[in-house]
Order: sequence, then structure tokens, then C-alpha cells
Amino acid sequence: MSGLICRNLKMYFNDRSGVFFSLMGAMISFILYLAFLSQNMITSWARVPDTKLLLDPWLIGGTLTITAITTTLSSLSLMVQDRENNVLEDIDLTDISYVGIQFAYIVTSMFVGVIMQLIMYLIMGTFFMIVDNSMFNLMIFPQMFGLSVLSSFTWTIFNLLLLSFVKKVDTLGKIGTIIGTASGFFAGVYIPIGTLPTTMQNLMKVTPAPYNSAMYRDVLMNVQLNKSFSKLPTVELSKFKKVMGISVDWNRALTFQQDMLIFISFAALISLCVFLISRISRRLILSKV
Amino acid sequence: MKLLQATSLTKKFKNKTAVNGINLTINKGDFVAFLGPNGAGKSTTINMLTGIIQPTSGMIDFYGKSTTNRDYRNKIGVVFQSSVLDNNLSVKDNIMTRAKMYHKPTQIQLLINKFDLESIWKQKYGSLSGGQRRRVDIARALVNSPELLFLDEPSTGLDVRTRTAIWTVLNQLRRDTGLTIVLTTHYLEETQTADYVYIIDQGKIIAENTVNKLQKQYTQNILTLYYPNGESKKLSVNDKDHAIEILSKNSQAISDFEYRPGTMNDVFMNLTGKEIH
Repeated sequence: MSGLICRNLKMYFNDRSGVFFSLMGAMISFILYLAFLSQNMITSWARVPDTKLLLDPWLIGGTLTITAITTTLSSLSLMVQDRENNVLEDIDLTDISYVGIQFAYIVTSMFVGVIMQLIMYLIMGTFFMIVDNSMFNLMIFPQMFGLSVLSSFTWTIFNLLLLSFVKKVDTLGKIGTIIGTASGFFAGVYIPIGTLPTTMQNLMKVTPAPYNSAMYRDVLMNVQLNKSFSKLPTVELSKFKKVMGISVDWNRALTFQQDMLIFISFAALISLCVFLISRISRRLILSKV
Repeated sequence: MKLLQATSLTKKFKNKTAVNGINLTINKGDFVAFLGPNGAGKSTTINMLTGIIQPTSGMIDFYGKSTTNRDYRNKIGVVFQSSVLDNNLSVKDNIMTRAKMYHKPTQIQLLINKFDLESIWKQKYGSLSGGQRRRVDIARALVNSPELLFLDEPSTGLDVRTRTAIWTVLNQLRRDTGLTIVLTTHYLEETQTADYVYIIDQGKIIAENTVNKLQKQYTQNILTLYYPNGESKKLSVNDKDHAIEILSKNSQAISDFEYRPGTMNDVFMNLTGKEIH
């Protein structure tokens, strides 16, 4: 199986334009933020000290969620391409079992997701450290790594479910565009979740995306939140957290652990769907043979 | 010795029968050719023999194993009609990653030497010429040192020189390792060296035998007489004596002549009433 994982990884990383476009959603959010979003938000939260230092890690948290969604989708797309180009027929002749083939695509996608999230984290973290003198806290790296693995897993399974119904490479491009654009909204990056109408907020909450952003933001912003809100009433902090999607609001603000529990429940539910579909039709998931 | 046997092999796609009750036997070490026009059912047959698609009915037996058995898959190599290797990866990456997908040790260096891959080893597969790609495709199919190699129209679009080079290596492999080869083709000359030929048309085997016997059975030798006024006349003759007799009688009247034995194309034409191309 290592042979197939190795081949899939090479296929992803050798395709420079593919890597670039899989980061498109993340880059759009980053550029939009630099261009005008940050200024808008700083103005709205003028009463909070060091707003910029709060918003930089806030953006990183959301952008990493987008990265997890789009890069795992891009990596997993190889499965559809291989199915259409009859590559799977060739791989099926080797000693790797059918389950092994499926597993190899999932492992590759997870690996790509983790690597790309960490790269994006390092790039954005370094950028804000240079430009805004934001703190680059190495102490939280183990948590960031753990979160990147968890997000990669969940979004890989999510995209696997999505791609189960895709037969043509042509459709892949369209799905990539839709997911790339939608992920920015669902992760609450383009517009903070708390500023949207309730219906829209509820719609977002039935996807794993806002919980993913919330977990990342919780870890990334914790130190700065304590600093900035030390002299402000607690109600201000909880309002900021709700509006900005640092903790998802379910009548009351969820804790980090609750966000994680819900996120993992999503992963479990989607895994179950994937499993059931693969039981019903092997063809849907992986092989057209 | 019998290596692979298929009995009453049938494949139906919705309401179309692609392959209809084919029986065939492939002996160890033989070079067997499936000859037929496009759409005759050759590729469908190969796909069933390699286990890529399952027959609607019928049996395939390989040393008592079925085609879905992994041991069977391990003993075969397949060169697909369209390439299945990755354009973005180098020849080395393509071959080495495939080699890693097998448990048994592979003899990559041997393949590099045999198929002359050293010079293109680090080049991207997508940048290679058609002939070079085919060499890599065949090398990939031989990575697991198979006993039985299936080639599905391997030389379509290749020039004569490349085709000859590929067949030289394959014939050498047959001599050295006893490799059994099953080929589908619509190039008649490729079947001339086959040990056994199955002629397929409209999903059925319409004739099968060795090349010599097929030619004897289904064709006659052709004698063409050319006259000084530019006209010509084609005659079917049984043997050389008959040809000499005709030539002696017409020696004054003709300006030239051509004598050739029947070809696989004649066999095909006589069987189906149409040319293969």
C-alpha cells in the first residue's frame, strides 16, 4: 500500500498548478482580509485593545479550515481521475486489496491536508509576525498539529462522501469551485458567523466547518484574548467569541471540548454514511469495474 | 500444457451482446493472437480474461483458479489499450511505485536493460514519444514477472521500426522465460508469427488455428497477370505447378506477373466478406 500512497503523494505535489489551485480558497480569504476585511473588523471592535493582534490569528484559524477542506478535496480528486482513466484497473492488478486501495487514497488525502495546513500556518504566522509583530507561539504547535490531523481526517471523509457520487473528471472542476467558494463562508472567514442572519447561521452549524474554525481560533487566540479582554467585562469577551465564531453559539457558547465533540460526531456520522454507501455499491466509492 | 481455458464466455451490456459464447484455450509458452476489426469484442474478451470485467456467463480457468483470485492477478501482466501510467511522474517513479505495490521482489534492472529505459529513466512519462511510452507500458506490465502477458492493441499508432523493436524484445522474453503472450490486434502482420490465431467478429470466434492452417484452409494463392495494355487479371491458384502452367500458356501475352500466397487479410476477407481495416 505504501507504493500507492507514495505515488498519490507524488501526483499531488508534482502538480504545482494543482497545489496552487487547491490553496486558492485559502489565498482568497487571506488576500480579502489584507485588502479590506481586517480594516472593517478593526473599526467594528475599536473598543477592544490590540484588535489587530486578535484578528490575525482569527483569520489564520478560519483559513486553516478552508485549507483542510480544499486540499483534501484536491488530493482525493485523484481517485475520480484514476477511475475515469482506468488507472484503478491497473492498480487493481497489483497485490493491494480493494480496501487497501481505498485506504491509500484516504491516507494520502489526510497527509496532504496536514502538510498543507501546517505550511499555511507557518506562512501566515510568519507573515503576521513580520508585518504586525504578532506573536508566533511555538508552545501551541502540538495542539495545532493535533487539530490539523483531526480536520484532515474529517474533511477527507466528508469529501470522500461527496466524490462518491462524482463519475466524471469534468464534474470535479465544478465541485472544486463550489467547495472552494463555499468553504470561506461556512468556515466563517469572509463574514463573521455572528453577523449573519439566524437562518444562515443555523445552516452553517449543520456543517463541521464553523466548529473546525472555532477550535483553531480557540487555540490560536487564547493568549491574546486573555490579554485584550483583561480590563473589559466578561460579557464583552463572550459576545466577541460568539460574533467572531471563536465558540459556536448553541443558545449558549460552546466550550472548546464541546466544539471538538460535535466536530468528531460529524466525522463519525459521515464515516457511517461512507461505510453504508460502500456496502450498497462498491462502484460508487471507488471502482467502476 | 494448458494454461488458461475459457468456456462459453459471454458478456452482455444492457441489450448488446459484446461477446457471445467464446471457447478458447491458451497453452503455456504460446503466442496467441486475437484478430478482428474494431468493435469485434477483442478487448471485452481480454478484459474478462484479466478479471477486469466479469462475464455474464461462462467459465475461465487458470490452473483451477478463477480470475477474481489474487494469485491469478499476480501471475498476469496487462498492457492496456490506452496508457494507464502517470504523465506527471518520471518513468522511474511510475515503474518504482508500481513495483512497490507487489509483495514479491522485482527485477527492475533487467527491464531497464531489455527495454532500453536507461536514457529516459528520469524523463516525465508525459514527455515521451508514443514508442517510448509503449516500452514503459510493457515494462510496467512485466514488473511482477508474470507468466501470462496480455497486450491489448499494443502497437496502434506506432511506426514499423518501433513495432519491430518491441516485438524483438517480447520474442526474446518468450525464449528466455517461457512467457505466454495473448495479443489483440488488427494489424495482420503481427499475427503472422503467432502460434495460434483466433479470428473474432461480432462477438464470436469465426475461425481458429495456426497461421499456416488458416491460410491453407481459407485462402488460395493469388496469381496476378499484367498485360502490355495496362490491364491485369487476378487468378486463384491451388499451388505453384498450377501457377507455372498458367504462366507458360500466357507467356507471350503478359508483360509481367505477381504470385503470392494467401495472407491473413485474405483469410479474414474470405471469412467475413470484408477487409479488416
